[in-house]
Amino acid sequence: MTRRHLTACRPLILICSLAMLGGLSPTGDSWAADHNDPNAINSIFADIPPSAADLYDMFGFPSEDKTGGEKVVLALTFASVPKTGVFDSDLLYKIRIYATPRVDNPFAAEPSLGALLEYADEVAKKYLTLQSSEIRVRVGADGRAKVSLINFPGGSFTNFVDTNQVVTIDTPDGHKIKAYIGGRDDAFFNDLPGFFRSINYAPQFYNVPLAMDGARELKIPKTLIELEGNTLFNFDPSRPKHGQGVKLDLPKGPLSWTGNAYKKDDKGNFRFVYSGVDAQAGRNINAVVVELPLAYITRAPETDRIVNAWGESWVKKASHKAPTIPDRRANPLDRVEKLLAAPEFEEEMAAYKLVDTDGQPFADAALNEREDDRQLGANNVLLARHFVTRLAHLGWGFGPSIRALGLRSAFEDDGAPVSVHRTYVFATPAFPRVAKLIWQELNMPDDSWNTSGKKIPLRRPFEIFVPNVNAIDMDTNGSWPFGRRLEDQVATRFLSLFLDHTASVNGKRYHIELLGDQSLWDGVKIEPKTPPNPLKNDKEFLKDFPYLAEPW
Amino acid sequence: MRVVTTAFLLLGFAGPARGLTDYDAEVRQLEEAVAAIQPAKDLDPASGARWVHLRYRRATLTGSLAELEAVRIDIDEILRRQGGPVDLFRLRAQLMFKFHRLKDVEADLARAGDPRDVALRADLDFQYGRLDDARRGYEDAVRRDQTWDNLARLAFYRAKTGDPDGADRLYAAAEDQLSAKEMRSFAWLELQRGLLDLGRGRHEEAAAHYERAGRAYSGYWLMDEYNAELLAATGKFDAAVALYESVLKSTPRPETEQALGDLYAYMGRAEQAKPWHDKALAAYLASARRGEVHYYHHLVGYYADVLEDGPEAVKWARKDLELRPNPATREALAWALYREGRFDEALALVIQALASGVSDAHLTYHAAMIHLAAGRVEQGKQLLARTAALNPRYNSFHVHH
Repeated sequence: MTRRHLTACRPLILICSLAMLGGLSPTGDSWAADHNDPNAINSIFADIPPSAADLYDMFGFPSEDKTGGEKVVLALTFASVPKTGVFDSDLLYKIRIYATPRVDNPFAAEPSLGALLEYADEVAKKYLTLQSSEIRVRVGADGRAKVSLINFPGGSFTNFVDTNQVVTIDTPDGHKIKAYIGGRDDAFFNDLPGFFRSINYAPQFYNVPLAMDGARELKIPKTLIELEGNTLFNFDPSRPKHGQGVKLDLPKGPLSWTGNAYKKDDKGNFRFVYSGVDAQAGRNINAVVVELPLAYITRAPETDRIVNAWGESWVKKASHKAPTIPDRRANPLDRVEKLLAAPEFEEEMAAYKLVDTDGQPFADAALNEREDDRQLGANNVLLARHFVTRLAHLGWGFGPSIRALGLRSAFEDDGAPVSVHRTYVFATPAFPRVAKLIWQELNMPDDSWNTSGKKIPLRRPFEIFVPNVNAIDMDTNGSWPFGRRLEDQVATRFLSLFLDHTASVNGKRYHIELLGDQSLWDGVKIEPKTPPNPLKNDKEFLKDFPYLAEPW
Repeated sequence: MRVVTTAFLLLGFAGPARGLTDYDAEVRQLEEAVAAIQPAKDLDPASGARWVHLRYRRATLTGSLAELEAVRIDIDEILRRQGGPVDLFRLRAQLMFKFHRLKDVEADLARAGDPRDVALRADLDFQYGRLDDARRGYEDAVRRDQTWDNLARLAFYRAKTGDPDGADRLYAAAEDQLSAKEMRSFAWLELQRGLLDLGRGRHEEAAAHYERAGRAYSGYWLMDEYNAELLAATGKFDAAVALYESVLKSTPRPETEQALGDLYAYMGRAEQAKPWHDKALAAYLASARRGEVHYYHHLVGYYADVLEDGPEAVKWARKDLELRPNPATREALAWALYREGRFDEALALVIQALASGVSDAHLTYHAAMIHLAAGRVEQGKQLLARTAALNPRYNSFHVHH
C-alpha cells in the first residue's frame, strides 16, 4: 500500500477541468435572423461561437406550383457549421407541422387581459391534445441525410437522400415530396446591428460573456432614433464599425442613460439607429427545404387551410454517444406528445436534447428577451402574461420615438416626449398600455397577399406570436404574417406592430410595409434617410424549388 | 454558470480528425487557435483576453503548470495595461486556485465583482474548510443554474462528506446535462464516478466507468493515470507500470513520477522506485524554491510516507495548513506529527478533521493509526473497522486523491 497526500488536489483538478471549459472562444460573427436562440448557443456572446444547433429562420408559404394539388413550401435555416453544405452528425433537425381550419376571430371583440389569457388557455389546451406531424432530418458523416416523415395521415416512414441536391421522396401513399438538404445563401436580409442598437443590446457592441446576463439589454430606453448622450450605443464616426463586427470591452461605470431628449445634428436631423444595410450579405446557411402536398399533411385540405409549422434543433446527448442513462424531460406538453409518438421514433429522441426552436421571426429577441427558459417553441402559451409586460416595456421606448418621427404609435404612453425605460412585473398595469397594439388588425400594403379572394381576417399581433408557429394560410400567397415568404422584410414589418394601424398617411391606412417606404423617410428630418432594413436580399431568390439562392 | 456548461460546445470541437485521438485533436485545435492570434502586447483587449483564455485551456488540458504560470504573467500584464474585462479576473481566480493562492482568488473574485460567482466562492469556502458555507454555496449554485459543473461541484462535496451514493447520483445528473459536443466533460464525470467506486473498493464498477470515459474521449492522459492506478489496485502491476511510463512520456508531471515510484515501492522494487521518487522530490522542492506553494501537500505526503521523515513533513504541512486551513490539510499535519512521534498533537488534529464531516477511508485509516499510537486502542479498532466498511480493499494499491 502506498499513501499519498493529494487530498487537496481533487477540488483543484475539478476546478481546472471545469475551467478548461470556461475560456473565451473566438467570437462568432454569425447572427440569427429570428433571434430565437437559447443564449447557450447564441453566437453573439463573447464566448459562444456559431453552433449548428442555432436555428435562424422558419420560412413557409404556399407553392405557386399547383400541379397535382396544393403544396406548401417549408424552409428551416440554421448555422452552416461545420461549413456550408456539410452537416454536424450529432445534430437532428425537425420541422413540425399541423394543419387546422382558419379561425375567423380568435379574440373577443373588446380588448381585455382576461380575453387574452383565455385565448392563451385555449391554445394551451390544444397543445395538450395535439399530435403534430414531423419531418426529422439527421445527416451522417457520409453526407447522406436520413429523413423520416412521422405521424402524417399516411403513416410514418424513413428515406435516405443525398444532400446538396434537390430530391423527390415518394411517400407510401403515393405523394411526392421535394426536398433539399444542404447549403444555400442566407435568405435573411436585415440590419441586425441597427436592431440591436435600437434595444441597446450590449453583446452586439461589447464583449459580454454569457455569464453576465445583467449586461445584455442595458437599462436604456428602446428607441428608433438615437438618444442624446447615449454614448454606449450611438453611432460614433470615429468607430464606424462598432457593433458591426467590432466589439469593445464593456466600459466600467453606469450602463444606463440619464438624458431627456433625442439626439439631433446641427441641422436638426434625428439620427436613425438603423442604417438599412444588409448585415447578412454574403453569408451562407444550411437548410432543410421541403415542398409538401397539402393533401399529404391533412386528410381535409379543403377545410384545413392553415398549415402551422415550426422548427427544432436537437443535439445528441453525451450519454448516448457513450451510452448510459435515460432522458428526463421537463415540459409536460412534450410528455403528452411522447405518448402519442410512434415507439421507434420516440426511442430515437431519448438520445437527443432539444436546443433551439424557431417559429415566428423576432418572437424571442423582441418578446422573450432570448432567455433560455423561454425557448418553448410552439408551446409558448405560458408566456402570455410576459408578452403583455414585454410589449409594454418596448412600447415605452419605441412609442415616443415613433411619435417624434411624426407617426402615430399604437402604444399608450401618456404623450411621453422622449423614450422611457420602464419595466413591469404585473400584466394588469401593463395591459392598458398595449391593448390597442395587441388587438389591432395589421393592415397589408395591398391586396396581393389574398390570392384566393376569400374573406380572410387580417391578423393581430398576439395571434401571430402565440403559439410561436409559422401559420401559413393556404388561401394567401403566404406573405408575413400569413406565412413567411423569402422576400418578406420581416424586421421592418415587425416594427410596424408599434404603429397605429387605424391612422392614415397620404390618404392611406398605415400598413406593415409603411416603414419600408422610401418616400416616408424622404419627408422626415432624419439621417440616414433610409428604410430601417434592406428592401431585398443580396442574391435573387430562385423561381423554382428550393427557392433559396445558391450559396456564395 | 452557463458559460461553463456550454463553453465546450463553443470550441466547436467536432471530434478527432482521422488518426488522431480526441485529446490530440483538441490540443491541435487549441494550438491552431492560439497560433492564429498575435502575441499579447500587440493585441487589442478582446483579442488579448481570447489569447490568454485559449492558452489557459491548452495548459489545463495538457497539465502544463509552466504554461499556466506563463498565462498568469500575461494576464497580469493585460490587466496592468488595460484594466481588463471582468472575465480576466475570473480566469485569474481559476488559475490561482490551481496554484493554491487562495488570497489571490479572493481578491480576483472581489475585482470581478459578480455576485453570481457562487460556485467559485463555494470552492473557496471548501478550500478554507468552511464546509457548511461551501455546501450552501454549491446548493445555491445548483438552484440558480442546474448546469453540469454546478452539479459536479455539489457531487464532489457529497463525495467528500461521506455520501458517495448521493455524489454518484449528482454526477449522473450532471452527465445528463451534457451534449455530444461535450464529450471530454462527460468523460471527466465518468472518471469521477469511477473514482468513487474505487474509493469503495468496487474495482469492477470503477473499470466500467473508466472504460466508458475512454470511449467518450480518447487519448486523454488523465484517464491513463486513473487506469494505471486501477490496474495496480487489481494486481496488474506490469501493465500499470507501462501505463504510468506512457503517461510520463507525454505528460511528465512530478505527481505522476511519484505515483510510479510508489508503485515500484509497493511492488518491493526499491531500486526502481528511487529514481522516480528522486525526480518527483526534486521537482517539488524546485517549485517551492521558486516561491510556489501548490506542491506543499505533495511534499507533506512525500516526507511522511516515502521518506518517513516526520519533522520535514510537519514543516511543509504547517505551511500548507496556514494557506488552506481545511480538514485535509489538518489531517495531513496530524499524519506528519504522527510520523514525528508527537501522537497527542496528532490526535487533537485528526479528531478535528473527523469532526468536520469529511469521511473517507484514507482519513479513517490515518485516524485509526493515530488513535492506536496515542493509546486509544478501542477507538482505533473502531476506526479500522470503519475503514474496512468504507473500502474493503483499502489495502490494495491506491494513489490518495
